[in-house]
Amino acid sequence: MKHIALAAMLGLAAIAPAQAQTVVRHLHITSIPAEVELMNSIAADFMAQNPDIVVELPFLENEAFKAKLTTLLQSADAPDVFHSWGGGVFYEQAAAGVLRPIEDVLSDEAKANVGTAGISAFTAPDGHLYGVARDVSEVVLWYNKTLFEQAGVDPASMETWDGFLAGVQAFKDAGITPIAIGAKDKWPAHFWWSKLVVRLAGQEGFAAAARGEGDGFAGEDFVKAGEYFLELAALDPWQEGFLAANYGDASGLFGDGNAAMHLMGDWDYGAMKDNSADKNGIPDEELGILPFPTIEGGKGDPTDTLGGLGGVLFSRNASDAAVKWIEFFNNTENQAKYAADAYYIPIAKGAADVMTNPFKVQIGQNISNAHWHALFFDQALGPNVGGVVNDISAELAANAMSAEEAAELIKEAVDDEL
Amino acid sequence: MTSVATGTDLGERATLHRRRYTDRKSIIALLLFLPPSLILFTAFVVLPMIDAATFSFFDWNGYGPITDFVGFENYADVITHRNFGTAVRNSLIVVAVSLLIQLPLAMWCAIALAERGAHINLIRVLFFLPYMLAEVAAGLIWKFVYDGNYGLLPAIGGAIGVDMPFVLGDKLWVIPAIMLVITWKYFGFHMMIFIAGLQSIPNEVIEAARLDGVKKWQIVRHIKIPMIRSAIVISVFFAITGALQLFDLIIPLSNGGPSHSSHTIVTFLYQFGILRMKLGFGGAVSVLLFIACVIVALAYRRILFKVEQN
Repeated sequence: MKHIALAAMLGLAAIAPAQAQTVVRHLHITSIPAEVELMNSIAADFMAQNPDIVVELPFLENEAFKAKLTTLLQSADAPDVFHSWGGGVFYEQAAAGVLRPIEDVLSDEAKANVGTAGISAFTAPDGHLYGVARDVSEVVLWYNKTLFEQAGVDPASMETWDGFLAGVQAFKDAGITPIAIGAKDKWPAHFWWSKLVVRLAGQEGFAAAARGEGDGFAGEDFVKAGEYFLELAALDPWQEGFLAANYGDASGLFGDGNAAMHLMGDWDYGAMKDNSADKNGIPDEELGILPFPTIEGGKGDPTDTLGGLGGVLFSRNASDAAVKWIEFFNNTENQAKYAADAYYIPIAKGAADVMTNPFKVQIGQNISNAHWHALFFDQALGPNVGGVVNDISAELAANAMSAEEAAELIKEAVDDEL
Repeated sequence: MTSVATGTDLGERATLHRRRYTDRKSIIALLLFLPPSLILFTAFVVLPMIDAATFSFFDWNGYGPITDFVGFENYADVITHRNFGTAVRNSLIVVAVSLLIQLPLAMWCAIALAERGAHINLIRVLFFLPYMLAEVAAGLIWKFVYDGNYGLLPAIGGAIGVDMPFVLGDKLWVIPAIMLVITWKYFGFHMMIFIAGLQSIPNEVIEAARLDGVKKWQIVRHIKIPMIRSAIVISVFFAITGALQLFDLIIPLSNGGPSHSSHTIVTFLYQFGILRMKLGFGGAVSVLLFIACVIVALAYRRILFKVEQN
């Protein structure tokens, strides 16, 4: 039986037309109908130009995607291309051998199109390139101009840490909640710790600590980051009950105009409206972006940004056709369509030029001018260390842990991984 | 008698079964019907259990082959974990609250509502409703009730002039708040078991006692409760094992927070084992939990047998 089947297969292969169609399955997590429509139309254009390739676009909802991916990638049913946020989980996937290195397949043009940041975000510690960057995001300090006026706080005075603390105190005195935070989810709290680390330790310091060198995350700069965080927490700057509030609650609170500031990613521009009671949020003219306060003596570069760098990865069995499809999908012309509708800030060179939303434009510029675009630390450090970072951040926000203990806990988690 | 089997009942039945299954027809039936369920049980219960036990001896993140054997290191990590003690303590608190508050409350309601009647039926359904609600939905509802800004709790506080805390964000209040939800959610289930038991008590027994001038609470104490003993036995068992496995109410309510102060053993497993991709660690927690449940089950049977013999 086996022999017959084998012979039949060989026979089929011999008579199969040379123009056999290759199927590329691209698993995505896009749920906005108009955005899916756009994706479908780009795939249709691609297939029209490449009749030998069929692009399929299966969808999984965000949380289901995360839950299913581990097993999916190790099964025979693994998609060729799939969404990724970059960072630690991706390193685990690469180390397990479920991904395909593509540095030899991807064209120089496509490499140049995502820039050095895009390449490094999808290069695993083993030195291979496994994916293509698609979009960038940045965590910024959103603020409400009306409330600043009410409390008599000059936004420019908030650019240094001391000025910032003074501003927070001024809001407290005026009876206005200075900062909204969703500390139940913990990751919103970790933005504070991360931004302080970006300022204090800088790129080199962070990278060295992540490698476990010297004192690692128990080093001086990281303890200091905790101390600065505690200094802020001591002012009790958050809304009441912030430990029971998730991201959506905090985003809504800010959108309703009940808190002066919210340290959050650029996506909060839309989410803040969606989470507000009247769905309109803060009007554009009353909304502003502040740079995160600079800290004297910090080793970070003032242009350093913190955020995400999303894209796609190629699974072990991905064909060259899959790479070809992503090169097309990610070219400037197609990504400009995403930028025009403000779905995200594309990384493709020039694609973001068509953006009209002033906030997204500014954020796009911040990132492209950045000396270091730090990936969300909870992503960059992997799920285990990242989880500890989120934990200690929520503790520090609640003023419930010492800076030394917080630093020591992260170091322990890193040592545990090494 | 109630439909609920006691220990000795089960023993007698097992002997009966053994006798019945010696004839040929039964063997055919056995061969026909046992394999499907046995296969399903093996595939979805036994094998995953063996898997989890295997993972617990390895350092594994869910990707690739399982190669890093670490012996009992995961177990040591679990036991010395800074939050494991809290999780165990909370699970034990749930057991205690279930046994000392929830079951007596259920019994009290059952005795009051065991009579038949339209209005009584309505109240019974109302009490039973929380149990029918999905755990996650119940958690979300109570999250809103407890919300310090627009919830029911601060509204009540405002009415009586007391400033209510944000209970789910408060280390001191989060556990009592969760216990209230658990009691609210599950007492109806136990009440129904007790009602079923109470209704199976022959009316004559109670009538006779009444004619003899036995007081109402004495009837409850000396007739009703002893006669639904088997219902109580099964309720207590469900309450303990259910409490040890509590998970899906906690996640929407507090997600184990603040500061990991409201974890149960299972949310601890989920948070530190699954979400942080330390499946070996998670496996060790699940093995420990499994052992605890088996010990409870065995000890419970043993104690019951002892009581039975006396």
